[in-house]
Amino acid sequence: MILRTEHLTKHFGGLTAVNEVNLRVEEGQIHSVIGPNGAGKTTLFNMLTGEIPVSDGEIYFHEKKITGFQPHQIARARIGRSFQQTTLFTNLTVLENVRLAEHAHYSGHFSVMRHFLSFTRPVEKAWQVLEELDITDIATKKAGELPHGQQRTLEVALALAADPVLLLLDEPTSGMSPEDSVKMIRLLRKLGNRLTMVVIEHNMNLVMSISAVITVLHQGMVIASGNPSEIEKDEAVRKAYLGGHAK
Amino acid sequence: MIEAALGKKRPLTDREIWIMAGLILLLPFVLPYKSLAAEILIYALGAVSFNILLGFTGMLSFGHGALFGTGAYMTGLLLIHLGWHPLVTLLCSCFIGAATALVIGFFSIRQVGIYFVMLTLAFNQLAFFIVYQWKGLTGGDDGLLYVPRPDLLIFPGVEIPIHTNLQFFFFVWVVFVLCIAVIRRILDSPFGRILMAVKENPDRARAIGYKIQHFKLAAFVISGFFTGLAGGLYALFMKMVPITAVELFTSTDFIIMSLLGGLGSLYGPIIGAVVVKVASEILSEIWARWLFALGLTFIVFVLFMRGGIWGLLSMAVEKFKAGSGSEERQ
Repeated sequence: MILRTEHLTKHFGGLTAVNEVNLRVEEGQIHSVIGPNGAGKTTLFNMLTGEIPVSDGEIYFHEKKITGFQPHQIARARIGRSFQQTTLFTNLTVLENVRLAEHAHYSGHFSVMRHFLSFTRPVEKAWQVLEELDITDIATKKAGELPHGQQRTLEVALALAADPVLLLLDEPTSGMSPEDSVKMIRLLRKLGNRLTMVVIEHNMNLVMSISAVITVLHQGMVIASGNPSEIEKDEAVRKAYLGGHAK
Repeated sequence: MIEAALGKKRPLTDREIWIMAGLILLLPFVLPYKSLAAEILIYALGAVSFNILLGFTGMLSFGHGALFGTGAYMTGLLLIHLGWHPLVTLLCSCFIGAATALVIGFFSIRQVGIYFVMLTLAFNQLAFFIVYQWKGLTGGDDGLLYVPRPDLLIFPGVEIPIHTNLQFFFFVWVVFVLCIAVIRRILDSPFGRILMAVKENPDRARAIGYKIQHFKLAAFVISGFFTGLAGGLYALFMKMVPITAVELFTSTDFIIMSLLGGLGSLYGPIIGAVVVKVASEILSEIWARWLFALGLTFIVFVLFMRGGIWGLLSMAVEKFKAGSGSEERQ
């Protein structure tokens, strides 16, 4: 098991956004987390990535406790993440975006008198990431000037830098056109061959077509977990999506 | 392709640095007074150091008067009481500037936005009142008087005089060019690139594995190092330390110079320092309320010309290039 949470809980004042979630992510699988708006998906995600502290419970990565890790420590543990709202270095070029993400995993952050290009490994590795995602043609463009679809791809590229073993993707297709979504699904499937992924998604097509396991959150709690066909048939899931108290 | 995306690897000095050095070497010969040229360079160094924070790390500090001031008092006091070699006292100014920046930075970087700004401002006021109250050491309101400016002993028997305004200008020029070359290298280093990432998007910088607090603090200390040096030079220049050196106005001077000159570039604040200092010398003689004009210009730049003078210049150059390019094609 690559990622495991035990009774993971988050309170915001009186509101319990995430309630005793036990997530089990197996190595090599694409594991999706779905749920209606306000189900606590992003809160869960932000706890996994260290953005917000947990109220209760534990997180284990490779059976090592990572509860309370800061975001940079999560990244150093080789867990890559993307953001739901595109979060790039907009004034820097695509290659420089990825190079920065690569360099985080090499030494020399505080070597102030060497030129950054004398560290050649991060540059080479960044280029490889662009090649894998097939975006070398936009390497010289500024991230902020890209169309939305390409920004989302760069978002994944940043998460992919420095060989993560676990990739956490927050709505990779959010705001994408149907054509771009198809491309993204193809990309995620390809990445799924070599890494473990946890994906938060609204896009049901994507979820059903790429996931090995789906966990459904509703009002902060796990109401179902299983493979796509099980989830499709699940009565509690249908109710949650149809609006709580539907018959 | 990689070069186009990341830029060329630049050596410590290249044509760019020498052009800048050559241009500012002309200053004492085109300005009405020779002394103004050295003063401009000293403020330019302070503004460039300040801009390491605002332009390249995204932190607006109102505390740079404190860094400049402690640097100035350090050199002033060491020269008066101990008579050390000026280069040694300047080095001490660097370190006191860095140390002060470490303290101010340590507390301030925990906050972001307006809280950060207010904290740096409060520290600047704190420094001012310490200097103001501690009359025995600093001279208080009267300033620290009679700072000597001895010749530079290079090795026994060889001394470089820095007594006249022109001699002193050349001395400051050497220090200044050296500092700019070093600061440019720092901005070109992996560290400098991470600072830009922090400025662009702190959340993402954290998420890709950088502990951004460390980088912010280091940037503060480096900025303080060079601002302290500028302060030390100022004490030598004035042959005294006026209490205005540590005032909030010094901080705002750096801010105005950087914004007018252009935050996005290493050289913008230098242009800003030239413009502000020359304007204040010329305008203040013909119009007592010249600060009004400065304020108005400042507002116009903040509202409509975010790139500053440097931004305007580079836009003009690009247009010119594009224009001549299309003519060639025809």
